[in-house]
Amino acid sequence: MLKMTHLSKVYRTEVVETYALRDFNIDVKEGEFVAVMGPSGSGKTTFLTIAGLLESFTGGEYRLDGIEVRELDDNARSKIRNEKIGFVFQSFNLIPDLNVHDNVEVPLRYRGMKATEREQRIMQSLERVGLASRARHYPAELSGGQQQRVAIARALAGSPRLLLADEPTGNLDTQMARGVMELLEDIHREGATIVMVTHDPELAARAQRSVHIIDGQAVDINEEPRFHNHAHARVASQQI
Amino acid sequence: MTLPPILAALRKHKAGVVLIALQIALTLAIVCNAIFIIGQRIQRIQRPTGMNEGNLFLITQMWVGAPTGDDQASGDKMDSLLRTDLAALRNVPDVESVTAMNSIPLLNSSWTNGVSLKPKQQHSTAHAAFYFGDENMLKTMGVQLAAGRAFTAADVQHRSFRAEDKPPIIIVSQALADKLFPGGNAVGKSVYIADNTEPSTIIGVVKRLQVSSADTWTNDFTWNTVLEPVRLNSNFSRYLVRAKPGRLQAAMKESRAALFAANPMRVIDDSAEHNSIRSFADIRAKAYRADRGMAILMSVICVILLAVTGAGIVGLTSFWVGQRHKQIGVRRALGARKIDILRYFQTENLLIAGGGAVAGIILAIGLNLWLMQRYEMDRMPVLYVLAGVAVVLALGQAAVFAPARRAANVPPVVATRTV
Repeated sequence: MLKMTHLSKVYRTEVVETYALRDFNIDVKEGEFVAVMGPSGSGKTTFLTIAGLLESFTGGEYRLDGIEVRELDDNARSKIRNEKIGFVFQSFNLIPDLNVHDNVEVPLRYRGMKATEREQRIMQSLERVGLASRARHYPAELSGGQQQRVAIARALAGSPRLLLADEPTGNLDTQMARGVMELLEDIHREGATIVMVTHDPELAARAQRSVHIIDGQAVDINEEPRFHNHAHARVASQQI
Repeated sequence: MTLPPILAALRKHKAGVVLIALQIALTLAIVCNAIFIIGQRIQRIQRPTGMNEGNLFLITQMWVGAPTGDDQASGDKMDSLLRTDLAALRNVPDVESVTAMNSIPLLNSSWTNGVSLKPKQQHSTAHAAFYFGDENMLKTMGVQLAAGRAFTAADVQHRSFRAEDKPPIIIVSQALADKLFPGGNAVGKSVYIADNTEPSTIIGVVKRLQVSSADTWTNDFTWNTVLEPVRLNSNFSRYLVRAKPGRLQAAMKESRAALFAANPMRVIDDSAEHNSIRSFADIRAKAYRADRGMAILMSVICVILLAVTGAGIVGLTSFWVGQRHKQIGVRRALGARKIDILRYFQTENLLIAGGGAVAGIILAIGLNLWLMQRYEMDRMPVLYVLAGVAVVLALGQAAVFAPARRAANVPPVVATRTV
């Protein structure tokens, strides 16, 4: 589903080159639920933005659902983001001027979907996250947990092949976080591929496997058990 | 992106939307009426007098020591001076023809009177401006005869300008002929000038000849003119001179010298204030200076208003783009292409400008009605309002383009940034 090979991302200024990702390799299979962990500045957000085609990469290969994305132009990238990827952001990123219904509708309109089909998908998605009754409410009228559920409904409405979640519970209290996490688990059980960036080892433990990003490189903990303790030790020391 | 979500978003920014729409409405109302006024002024400035205006110039001069009385001897003496000047001017190599006249179109020196169909009529049938000149008057002015004949030397009389005006024959403009005799065939008919009991017979009709002033008080009779075969005698005279093609400047210079050679006892004031030898182009420019000034002022007001409105749209849209920076990134992350973002802002502006235009149409028509009542302005044709709407909509689209393009270039990665 998502395969990065020897991928690198370099941020250049006039005086310095900074590698955010270096010789980065990851392979997420269809239907997997992968947690991506790592200390601040390790490159996990860069990984997520490249995975979501939100920015380009410097070297290597990236295939998404069998498509090599390197040569795609801006319009083609927009189309893939719209049709194949669903985003769940830490700060929800709902559009404050639009109500819940219209927020969920945004990606469907960009797809050029007919009104009847849009309406059907919006209501299905909102029912799926338990917020159908709040369709006419504005984001400011909802709790953080409810806003994140709307964001998940928006991500699901387009039936994406891949759900990318960036610290989806980062701005929520424990109870709300639990509810959102359970929702993501339900969605995964229904067959969705999920890649979730998180700081929280408890949340990561609920994923099928965890990938650590350290100094711009991916370390797959489940596949390299001998490295497990060492990696955790490095993460712990860097966090201290 | 279609209209409902854009309208929903606009409802959340009512103050900015209403202010810009109001500005657009006021701009439309003022610009429509201003352009209408400019159009009317330009039309006035460009209307032909009926003369062949190229190569024409006017000399105004005063004799020193000439008799001033109204008696026959004084009149004969003054007419002799006049004829000497005419002969001198005719001999100038670059002069094609010359006539002595009391005034000419646009000179702003008017002789007007009523013209009636019956003697002692209580209210005259028409009001008209009067031109007095000799047999060369029509030829020198370059007016076209529509019917009848021109004056001959035998028709021409001379009299003091204070003497009673009782011409046996006259030529009238077509507009006056139509007013006096709507059925046509004015030639051969008799009319009465002022309180005269003796009739004046119309011997000819000229196609078009404007009155001697472009001021608004002549608006009701702009094209009503009467020509009389008379050399008016006074201690000053005006000569309308037609130079040979392309020789205007030379003829003007030579004419001055020729007059002084014929009789040095005269004053030809060359000061900028009086400018006694003037081309007709100068006379026309001076006559319409106020109209030209008004047209320029209105144009400047229009440009400033449009610029301020455009700047307002740029400012508000730039503010909104800055305010919605993250939101634009989110839209891009959710699949919006650059063109979708560009279209979003262009459509948003079209809706605001459209709302402003609707209010502006009502204001424009209202303003026109008020001007009609207060300042006797004409009714503004709908075409001006429609053109104004097109202008403000195009202005809105042009003004919003730069900030909208900036918005379209917001990268989708902005969606992941927390600040």
